[in-house]
Amino acid sequence: MSAVLGYEPVRDGEAPGRIWIDEPGAHRLSPACKDELLATLHDLRPPKGARLVLFGADVATLGEAERAALRRRVGFVPANGGLMSNLNAWENISLPLAYHAPRRLPEALREVRALLDEVGGVGEELLAKLPEHMALYERRLAGYVRALLEAPELLVLECVGAGLGPTKRRRAARFAEVYQARRPGGTFVQLDA
Amino acid sequence: MFAVVRELEGSAQLLVHAIRRIGVLLLPPVAEELVRQVYFTGASATGGIMLRGAFIGTLIIAYVIEVLNADASLAVRLLLLVVLREVGPLIAAVLVIQRSGTAVATELALREISGEIANLRRMRIDPRDYLVVPRVVGMAVSNAALTLHVQLIAVGGGMVLASLIINVPFEALLTHFFLLASPLDLVYSLIKSLLFGAAIAVVACYHGLNPRGRSINAVPQAAIRAVTEALLLVMLLNVVFAYLVYGVAFLGLVTAEQ
Repeated sequence: MSAVLGYEPVRDGEAPGRIWIDEPGAHRLSPACKDELLATLHDLRPPKGARLVLFGADVATLGEAERAALRRRVGFVPANGGLMSNLNAWENISLPLAYHAPRRLPEALREVRALLDEVGGVGEELLAKLPEHMALYERRLAGYVRALLEAPELLVLECVGAGLGPTKRRRAARFAEVYQARRPGGTFVQLDA
Repeated sequence: MFAVVRELEGSAQLLVHAIRRIGVLLLPPVAEELVRQVYFTGASATGGIMLRGAFIGTLIIAYVIEVLNADASLAVRLLLLVVLREVGPLIAAVLVIQRSGTAVATELALREISGEIANLRRMRIDPRDYLVVPRVVGMAVSNAALTLHVQLIAVGGGMVLASLIINVPFEALLTHFFLLASPLDLVYSLIKSLLFGAAIAVVACYHGLNPRGRSINAVPQAAIRAVTEALLLVMLLNVVFAYLVYGVAFLGLVTAEQ
């Protein structure tokens, strides 16, 4: 029960696919139950017909306050980046900070610029773009940088490299390395199709 | 029928939430949403009602003087009674339902279906705080401002146009206006229009956040239900307001006999 992330779908008494991550580090998985896990991770509601374990706790046994506390420890970036369509990249990236810790915003801007340069290979002009004008990689990068600013203990990314060209795919492959440099002891999970 | 009651109950809960959590407007992203809402509901709607407002004022004065053969005093009295207390808030409310009610319901339904609302929750942002509170406050304030705008245009424009079209001196209308106008009329319509704006906003937000289904068809359905229920609610509130004010409230200060 001490898994960082565990997901066991149960249908008719059988467990057709199972994810069980005991140790921190970078993990790349292609589970059969990816879509179900992602749907569950999206709002951390107790799954039906499955068991979700996070940091050793069965989510179904937790109250709303405890689940809210868990949400602070988990970052999640869906394949489309999970951006708000009417906000530009900077507004999207800074939204959680502006909401929960507005005093960190000035330092966050410097951090974001450095991250975009180091990880993304894209210039600062990305920050002014609306999601509809961003390429798929840029949307994922913005979602990733947003998650990184909160330095979660567990960061789950959906289909990081899918649909990207070779150059962008190589850049996206560095997401795990950069996360671990910023969050030693954290768990990075990449879920592929 | 039960569905409508349930939906109105849900809307009322959103209103209670908006009042309880009004402090979130101090957060920069929510304040930005408020500014956007005031701009779209209030500022960008003013142009479209200028002519309509002036024509209504002119029509009332012309009708009373030419058709009913009454004097300028009665025309201005009716203008104040009808425009300031009843038609002004209603015109603004209908305009806000038509423009912003549909826009808010559609926008929120699209956000829900596309997963943006779930993304907000993942960021530990309550969608009601980030999306509903600024819309309720923004639409209430904008509706009050629009009502004042309609009243100014209808009364002022009506008196100017009426003096040009029919045989009634502008000075006479103006004199009667200053004799008969009461600040209480404005207070009454201000309270009413704030309430109308908030009611339209919570109904639109409720339907936007609770689309019936996940297909794209749910979006126009949410807008249609929002418009229908908002109109119903505004009419209902108007009746309740009229009963309270003309009947039992304000210690008889505001009456049709004034």
